[in-house]
Amino acid sequence: MKNWFLYGLIFLATIVLLFLSVPLFNMILGNDLTLLLETLKQKDVISSIYLTMKVSLWSMCFVLVTGLPLAYIIARYNFFGRSLIEAMIDIPIMIPHTAAGIALLMIFGRGTISEAFESIGITFVDTDMGIMVAMMFLSSTFLINGAKEGFKKVDIKLEKVARTLGANPMQVFLRISIPNSRKDIINGALMMWGRGLGEFGAVIMLAYHPMVAPVLIYDRFTSYGLAYSAPVAAIMIIISIFIFLAVRFINNRLK
Amino acid sequence: MKLFEVENLSYKLGDFKLDNINFKVNQGEYFVLLGQSGSGKTLLLESIAGFNSIDGKINFEGKDISELSPENRDVGFVYQDFALFPNLNVRENIMFSGRYKQIENPEETLHDLADFLGLEPLLNREIDNLSGGERQRVAIARALFSKPKILLLDEPLSAIDPTFRNSIMKFLKDIHRKYNLTTIHVTHNFREASYLADRIAIVMNGQIRQIGTASDVLNNPENLEVAKFLGFKNILPSSMLNEDSGRLFSVDPNTIHISKDELKNDYVFEGKLEECMGIIDHYKIFVKVGEEQFFAKLLKRDYMGCYADRGESIFIGFDKKDVSYL
Repeated sequence: MKNWFLYGLIFLATIVLLFLSVPLFNMILGNDLTLLLETLKQKDVISSIYLTMKVSLWSMCFVLVTGLPLAYIIARYNFFGRSLIEAMIDIPIMIPHTAAGIALLMIFGRGTISEAFESIGITFVDTDMGIMVAMMFLSSTFLINGAKEGFKKVDIKLEKVARTLGANPMQVFLRISIPNSRKDIINGALMMWGRGLGEFGAVIMLAYHPMVAPVLIYDRFTSYGLAYSAPVAAIMIIISIFIFLAVRFINNRLK
Repeated sequence: MKLFEVENLSYKLGDFKLDNINFKVNQGEYFVLLGQSGSGKTLLLESIAGFNSIDGKINFEGKDISELSPENRDVGFVYQDFALFPNLNVRENIMFSGRYKQIENPEETLHDLADFLGLEPLLNREIDNLSGGERQRVAIARALFSKPKILLLDEPLSAIDPTFRNSIMKFLKDIHRKYNLTTIHVTHNFREASYLADRIAIVMNGQIRQIGTASDVLNNPENLEVAKFLGFKNILPSSMLNEDSGRLFSVDPNTIHISKDELKNDYVFEGKLEECMGIIDHYKIFVKVGEEQFFAKLLKRDYMGCYADRGESIFIGFDKKDVSYL
């Protein structure tokens, strides 16, 4: 009984692990394989999964370009209002997603900003762009915060030495800061992408069509019932797990 | 020939201030900034490298470089913990500047440095697999590869195992001789400073308190604060030597003679033995003379014993040549 503490920890950890994994495995294993393959042949399923993957990837790329500089500024500089900016980055993950969807609809669905975008041919209601902003609004927090923690771990002396060796601030950022916080950035990006894949509440307010996978699952569930929506959900889960494991494996293998 | 000059440099960081710093460094000189932790030495070195927006001027070869960014100052910087880039291997670390600066014959330069610094077998290693000494050599090679006009070393021996410090000090001297590179070295260790420095500046509380040749600064501190920092003992009023200059003097504990009988030195005092402590190879002896206390060190190989018991009378003596005035 020497290890009673460890056994206690394992017991409690197992409860939460089962809670998290059983519904997923049940979804995957509880579906008939033939039915899954049948579902995979359906055009609307394929295009919906493709759209989900593509748009969440776009939103991740957009936040990589704009969010990394923001994360770097927060990690490296002390300035008035920094806490406020950090709070603003965290807020989207705390508010109800439908409320976020309505807030986005009021900006990108009507009014001056919407009209300004419309004048250059970009609209958000029922378009890929609408899905993208909804995904981005609710998931960029993960990437920005991940990158911020990564940048904080990079010793500022590395950047200073690189400057004395002839690199300008941009070159230092690209060659020293980003590569040395790469793991946190990739983890944050994966979290963002994953969160984007599952975004439903805000997306549905801006773009019911074209249907991303979560909307398709919901649509099939309300129109045709569980048996018709479950295979789509299972396929989505399998693809997500596969991609996440692959990226994490590659990330861990990198120097 | 004057190469580098800091004029009225001031910089404030929170409650701390580098205050009106002035000094010159000559071409090929090994200049040491000596001071305690927190005295502002590293901040001063970083200001020279261009990391801080300073008040005042930094002239290099007659040109004011205080507005130039660090990448345009031609300085090499080696930090205490070496700051090697973890995402690059040894070769890539050393050759880092090659991407951003015009380096003539980069491969030849790399192999020349690697050969001199004993890094040839390590060139393809990851930096995680290097010892402290190897890391230091890589950091120095990286700085030298960029062909700096001045080398800035921030406590380069602090992270090195004490067993290897002597050999690395010699190695720093060898580098300085081979490349005839003007060097500013920051340290809190005066042994290190006395071995390496051509000239020394004492930095205290963000100010330079004394500048001079190594032997001058280390043997003749200008004031009490510097003397205490340099570890001077027996700092006493010169009135004891029958002088009324109002100054203080100091005498090295190793030069004080002790005897039960009267001595024939220039200055001789009779006092009472307060304490005698036997330490491995020597005795630490404390003698009260009037209101003052003298401290002397006596090697066991010269005499075994304390000359007297505690409270007994004893003579101490020293010569004029061993007295330093503050």
